[in-house]
Amino acid sequence: MLKYIHGEIYRLLHKKSMYIYFSVLALGYFFLTLVRSSGLSTGAIVNDALNLFMILSVLTGGFLFSAVYTDDLNAKNLIMLVGFGMSKVKIVLSKFILMTLSSAVVWVLIPLYICFVHAVMGRPASAEIITTLYTSAMPHFLKIVAFAAVSGFVVYGSQRPTFSMVAFLLLILGVVSNLLTTAANLEFVNSIAPNFIDHLMSGIAPRILAGVMVGGSSWLLPLLEYVIYTAAALVLSMLAFLKKEMEF
Amino acid sequence: MLQPILQTHGLTKKYKEFTALNNVSLTLRQGDIYGLVGRNGAGKTTFFKCVMGLAKPTGGTVAIDGKTSNLNAARRRMGFMINPSFFPYLDPRENLKYACHVKGIQTRGEVERLLKLVGLSDVKKPFKSFSMGMKQRLGIAGALLGSPPVVVLDEPINGLDPQGIADIRAVIKSAQEQTGATLIVSSHILSELDLVATRFGFIEQGVLLKEITHKDLHDHTKKSLIIEVNDAQKAAAVLQAGVGAAGTVTSDGRLILESHLNEPHQIARALINGGIELYDLHRQETTLEEYFMRLIGGGQDA
Repeated sequence: MLKYIHGEIYRLLHKKSMYIYFSVLALGYFFLTLVRSSGLSTGAIVNDALNLFMILSVLTGGFLFSAVYTDDLNAKNLIMLVGFGMSKVKIVLSKFILMTLSSAVVWVLIPLYICFVHAVMGRPASAEIITTLYTSAMPHFLKIVAFAAVSGFVVYGSQRPTFSMVAFLLLILGVVSNLLTTAANLEFVNSIAPNFIDHLMSGIAPRILAGVMVGGSSWLLPLLEYVIYTAAALVLSMLAFLKKEMEF
Repeated sequence: MLQPILQTHGLTKKYKEFTALNNVSLTLRQGDIYGLVGRNGAGKTTFFKCVMGLAKPTGGTVAIDGKTSNLNAARRRMGFMINPSFFPYLDPRENLKYACHVKGIQTRGEVERLLKLVGLSDVKKPFKSFSMGMKQRLGIAGALLGSPPVVVLDEPINGLDPQGIADIRAVIKSAQEQTGATLIVSSHILSELDLVATRFGFIEQGVLLKEITHKDLHDHTKKSLIIEVNDAQKAAAVLQAGVGAAGTVTSDGRLILESHLNEPHQIARALINGGIELYDLHRQETTLEEYFMRLIGGGQDA
């Protein structure tokens, strides 16, 4: 499994479009901030970043999901891996670990970069602001990872890159969440499962954040829900992959 | 006799009502270059998919190195190429290095050796801009990575020009000579496989019709008697009963005999005595393609 993850890291680091994509995002943010620079105060950095995180969860999550998962489907690489005798369970787990690692790297760098840009423009961020930025970034990171795990079911069940990408985008853009929220507001659903919305990923991630902000151990229960949610998605992905024959 | 390195027993694969593989029992012995010959859609790729664990057989068993369970471990010692596909944005060197990382191959210079072997050592462009021939070459290099003792190549000369075909043939031969690898190579062009393979298996509509050595194949393709008559089926029965000669009736109504090559007069007499109108009888050397087509029971393209 480690060899596979090592190989995948090698592949991602040799994907030139990744450098171009993230450079464009970074430069875009730099120039946007430069243009708006005169109207921004130090305190506005946080609000600015919070809005940015919403967009970046789609832009970075979508790109990473495509690079980690759907590239494999486009290159028919799963055929090489399975034919080489690699267990399907290990493939699903390795991909999830890689998605988690790559998202973690990106979401560690994003708040750092925001602080760097503002510092260059004469607004250095305080330790408090940096902490707030990282805390606010956390739910986005958690959502990306969890939604990638859920989309894994489509990746391995259909083995079609377009279906897989659409599934991830529907989740990360909140389309699925909105539909489920609408459904949850229906009287009969509400009577069967009250507070159903709180247990969707769109509810769990903010609850973890709120728990962390409040302190104590109130984040433990939503975190446990998160782990169960992700683990269940991984198990379903494995079952789908084990059942499905390789698509050529 | 050399030890079987890959064996299938009654291997069957069905897709709903369609039987892609029907009871295929095949043996691959150490050091073989086994040519699996069949038309497009005959079941060659399905056979390879079942062997490599990419499709679940409906029935039968696969044994690699004598083992029928925990085949994943055995498959790690095999190299294969089925529809060569790599990451489109990586160049050939990067694609092979990726495969080396995944397979845990640490042999120094392995990637360069293989790129040189397949003639891609100077290619720097990404896989997405490769021609069909270059893709095939890289696919073969990928299959030979780490010098596996068993190599499976599905249609390695598909879509190649004559020079490309000759190059791939040389690569297969050289891989076998350098590492002593056992290869199973499929193609629908028998005459090409004939130049490299030591044994052949003929597959049609999912059925393995015949396994034959290179020498036996050439014995079979030496000569035959071609008979044109008014009723080929009846003539076949007459000859079987009269002189004990088993003939094959082709789709164009000709009768072909592989025995009694030196007794055409006896054949002619038996036919006439049996009430058959004889139009033509001549001796002819059968080409490999003709042998193949006759074996699969039709005159369709191979």
